[in-house]
Amino acid sequence: MLKLLQNEWMKLWNKKATWVMAILLVAGVAGMMGLTKWISTTEGNRAESGGVSVEGQADAQDWRMMAEAEREGIAAQLADPDLSSSREAELKEELQIVEYRLAEDVEPHGSYSRQQMIKDSSGIATFAMLFAIIVAAGIVATEFSDGTIKMLLARPVRRWKVLTSKFAATALFGALLTTVGFVVSIVMAYILFSPDGGTELAVTGGEVTEISAWVPAIYHLLLAFVNIIVYTTFAFMIGSVFRSGALAIGLSLFIFFTGSTVSALLSRYEIAKYLFFSHDLVAVAQGMTFLEDVTLPFAAAVLGAYAVVFLIVSYLVFSKRDVTA
Amino acid sequence: MANQAEPIVELKHLSKTIRGKKILDDLNLQLYPGQVTGFLGPNGAGKTTTIRMMAGLMKPTSGEVFVAGKSVQNDFEAAMSNIGVIVENPEMYKYMTGYKNLVHFARMHKGVTKDRIMEVVRQVGLENRIHEKVGTYSLGMRQRLGLAQALLHNPKFLILDEPTNGLDPAGIREFRSYLRSLAEKAGVSIFVSSHLLSEIELMCDRIAVIQNGKLIDIREMKEDTRPHHYIEALPAKQLRAILESKGYEPAESGAGFIIEEGVQRIPELVKSVIAGGLDLYAVRPHRKTLEDEFIEMTGGGQIAEAVAK
Repeated sequence: MLKLLQNEWMKLWNKKATWVMAILLVAGVAGMMGLTKWISTTEGNRAESGGVSVEGQADAQDWRMMAEAEREGIAAQLADPDLSSSREAELKEELQIVEYRLAEDVEPHGSYSRQQMIKDSSGIATFAMLFAIIVAAGIVATEFSDGTIKMLLARPVRRWKVLTSKFAATALFGALLTTVGFVVSIVMAYILFSPDGGTELAVTGGEVTEISAWVPAIYHLLLAFVNIIVYTTFAFMIGSVFRSGALAIGLSLFIFFTGSTVSALLSRYEIAKYLFFSHDLVAVAQGMTFLEDVTLPFAAAVLGAYAVVFLIVSYLVFSKRDVTA
Repeated sequence: MANQAEPIVELKHLSKTIRGKKILDDLNLQLYPGQVTGFLGPNGAGKTTTIRMMAGLMKPTSGEVFVAGKSVQNDFEAAMSNIGVIVENPEMYKYMTGYKNLVHFARMHKGVTKDRIMEVVRQVGLENRIHEKVGTYSLGMRQRLGLAQALLHNPKFLILDEPTNGLDPAGIREFRSYLRSLAEKAGVSIFVSSHLLSEIELMCDRIAVIQNGKLIDIREMKEDTRPHHYIEALPAKQLRAILESKGYEPAESGAGFIIEEGVQRIPELVKSVIAGGLDLYAVRPHRKTLEDEFIEMTGGGQIAEAVAK
């Protein structure tokens, strides 16, 4: 089995397109960080020309004002009698943190601080997802369109093993891209942004505690990776079933880009909760999903169920198919 | 069959129905070690379907293929480890070198070493170009690489679908003698489908003919040694009358007739043709080609039924 994976990995990296994707990922992530830096400096300039000193006191007042606004916002939401119990618990935790900040004078990280950049680095998952989908869509389909499938399957290796090696290669590629993107993002955060005196807080066991910015960073990255796997599994299935890489890429990206709009439109209906493209786990973890009653375990379970179904369909079709290409 | 050896490959009651259409109907065939068997049939007869079922690419509706006693359908990995396949044009990974392609396929078999890969590369004469990308190869070179990948694991049974497609005459000749030596020296059983009847004729010990999904004939090559002559004279009607009066069964062929006759009675026949006042244009020994036989066998439905065993 390891030899088969080795084969898939070799084929993958012998294609120019793979290297182009890897380079685009690095360039894209570095570019985004550069852009953020540029925006931060222009904002800084504007603030300076407005006659307000950027550092120090003004900043401290800024975060206090924002925190108080946030506290009021959360309190207003908590007043809603229809609130689900899970959402209520989330809001209460958020409230606890905001009140702790105000009471103990614990400043949060500034928007353009190094820590904040580290914390938000799971954003690179979008790039990784895009390229992982392209690879997943083509890994089976191109064997058919190039006619190499005949050579590949007329071997003393059962078909499910071949498909497993391909899926493993896809998942590994997704993991590699995610890791590379993350590392680039972190390196750029260290190069371009300076740390500030803010502190990251979390509620653990009912107590507010200080945590490192790395904790939410890694946590969100792992959650984003789950999303990547689900989308790549979808693309993998379409590619295996319809033997068309173009269709698989098109459909997966279409769902990726329009999925949240569709589920927003359907959000009044129960069905929206059971669509795989409704759930961005990072958003769910941050309490930013617009669907009611969606907790992280629920969203993860829905995604897991879809991934299993996608894989079952892929295996059934691939191992039963008569190769006529 | 004149063979005492156990068959290495057995097709037992192989049938395939695709969307209600019977592509193959109860095909039975045995292939023996050291023998090259040609597989002939008109387009759409079920050749490709048969080959794909033997290569594990398609599943039969009923029946089984056994290779070295193992069922391709029920003991896939054991059966396939004895088979080398070239299905139609060998499609390789164009973006990799020939060598990497071979490494790729070698990893899918047990016990194929780097030395073995280089040995096969030398055998097919690709050592100078093996580290170049397959995308730069000519069709003939790809055929060689295709043969190399099929031979990596020393298969006991080799399936070749249209193997000489794209080879130049010298390449075809070399390929043919290579296959013959594989069969004769290594005892490999070879199954070749081709449209080039003259190729099959030169390469094979035996031919199997398939039509409308049924095996209509299996015959050893060179078993038909009855001599024939071709005779052409005008008017043709009178010639036919003369031939029939002499007890021949003239078969029309072009402008003349083919009769079953050695050399003994030819002078006498010529004399009577001249004496009859006919204009004699040609008399020459005629050797039935495989093509003639093939057309004869598959040409008419009645013939097909009469020959079917």
